[in-house]
Amino acid sequence: MEPVIETQGLKHVYIDADNNQVTALDGIGMQIQPGEFVAVIGANGSGKSTLARHFNALLLPTEGSVKVHGLDTLDENNLWRIRQDTGMVFQNPDNQIVAAIVEEDVAFGPENIGVPTEELKKRVEDALRAVDMLDYREHAPHLLSGGQKQRVAIAGTLALGSKCIVLDEPTAMLDPKGRKEILNTMKKLNREQHITVVYITHFMTEALLADRVIVMSKGKIEFQGTPKEVFSRVDELEKLGLEAPLAAKVAFELRKSGAKLPPGIITNEELAAALA
Amino acid sequence: MSIKLEHVSYVYMPGTPYEKEALKDVSLEINKGEFVAVIGHTGSGKSTLVQNLNGLLRPSKGTASLDGTDLSGKTKEAKQARGRIGMVFQYPEHQLFAETVYEDIAFGPRNLGLNNDETDARVKEAMKFVGLDFETYAQRSPFSLSGGQMRRVAIAGVVAMNPDYLILDEPSAGLDPGSRRAVFAEIMTLYKKRGIAIIMVTHSMEDAAKYAKRLLVINKGQIILDGRPGEIFLKEKNRLLEVGMDVPEVYKLADALRAKGLRLPHEITDAKLLLAEVKRRKGLK
Repeated sequence: MEPVIETQGLKHVYIDADNNQVTALDGIGMQIQPGEFVAVIGANGSGKSTLARHFNALLLPTEGSVKVHGLDTLDENNLWRIRQDTGMVFQNPDNQIVAAIVEEDVAFGPENIGVPTEELKKRVEDALRAVDMLDYREHAPHLLSGGQKQRVAIAGTLALGSKCIVLDEPTAMLDPKGRKEILNTMKKLNREQHITVVYITHFMTEALLADRVIVMSKGKIEFQGTPKEVFSRVDELEKLGLEAPLAAKVAFELRKSGAKLPPGIITNEELAAALA
Repeated sequence: MSIKLEHVSYVYMPGTPYEKEALKDVSLEINKGEFVAVIGHTGSGKSTLVQNLNGLLRPSKGTASLDGTDLSGKTKEAKQARGRIGMVFQYPEHQLFAETVYEDIAFGPRNLGLNNDETDARVKEAMKFVGLDFETYAQRSPFSLSGGQMRRVAIAGVVAMNPDYLILDEPSAGLDPGSRRAVFAEIMTLYKKRGIAIIMVTHSMEDAAKYAKRLLVINKGQIILDGRPGEIFLKEKNRLLEVGMDVPEVYKLADALRAKGLRLPHEITDAKLLLAEVKRRKGLK
């Protein structure tokens, strides 16, 4: 199958406010397959957000290439297609809402690309149902909670027909309940609608639920693998300014003290079972 | 020395269809030297509460005072009292504005009426406090720094005003675990060395458990729980879940271990304690 996203030798160089040349991405080669749920973790400044912005052509490669559904982001003729196929959700829910009523906000994208009224209605309804916000269709977005606002933003990408959603720290500003809502919504969309998910986060407990975790550092992919593979590398994560989930850290320390534990313990339940 | 709220209510947009009572008859005293975490879901009234604590908002009913001086007054004393309560907003890096790190941090002290020498001393001290080397960073543009560094500049700007009370709104939001630890190391130094009070609004149960000595849980404009974090996380789990909060991971892990029959003492408040107990139970050194 054709990858949803494919980068080859992707470099991104920019000039900062002090006139220094900064290499934010330094030779990234990666593929994301249809239906995958990929988490991207990395310290602040490691290049995660820059990478995400290449996935729907908000940024363009200095060197190398990015293909989205096989379309090169450097070809201007592809931009509309790419941005419909890959939706983005950002950190701050208040910066992404454009309308005064929830359903109008969700309709904004598809309306702009000329979706006919009847279909538009259906798309908006389906999208709001998918994120469990249909009851709020006539509400004012600014009165919603952070988690609800982010779900409206997700619905906006669905209504546009996105098959892939890239979320850049979507839960950084949310309370614990809001965080759960977003994660559950994305898991459900991934499972039931086979939406490809690229999920950037600083919360390791969220990355635990991905199919694959990519660890970034200084503009490069440091290592990647299943959550079990990645989060077992407790020491290395720490050195990168990251943190393994608590259960993995405790298992790591127990092994150092001579405990015989099976490899790949990353959740509380796995640790409890191993110690029982 | 303390900040006191007495029967404070706060209503947004009174007399309009959007009228909303964000605080309902809240009484609270925070003493100098306390480290208080404030948690509650979006819209629970946390931000309204802390803005009443530093005089940014004026109570609709009741009074907010610092050592007996009403914070909402227009007198010189009231102004000075407000100046003793510093506030670092959410995402403070978005509020940096000057051309150099130096100028950004110097803005507050200058506004307090300090002369150049005094301001200079304050800036140097504040930068040292937040771990930014003066020679390296003072003349750089704040906008060329990383997110974590920018946040430190913003915190330095408030620290330079020598507040007795420091309010932090979500100081760790959006930071990676390493930068989070660094920012908190600085906050803890400030707290311990200067003996000031820290009042921290947070969505992170981990940070609340790790750093605060007192926890306030806000729901629907009222303080529903007020006590030691260890005790609240242990005894009020269900109540916390009910109001959209959570307990820190270490409590969940301890519960999971107990469920599998591992006997653990009642109060496991941090990972070190948990690890030591598991080792003891399993006869590991």
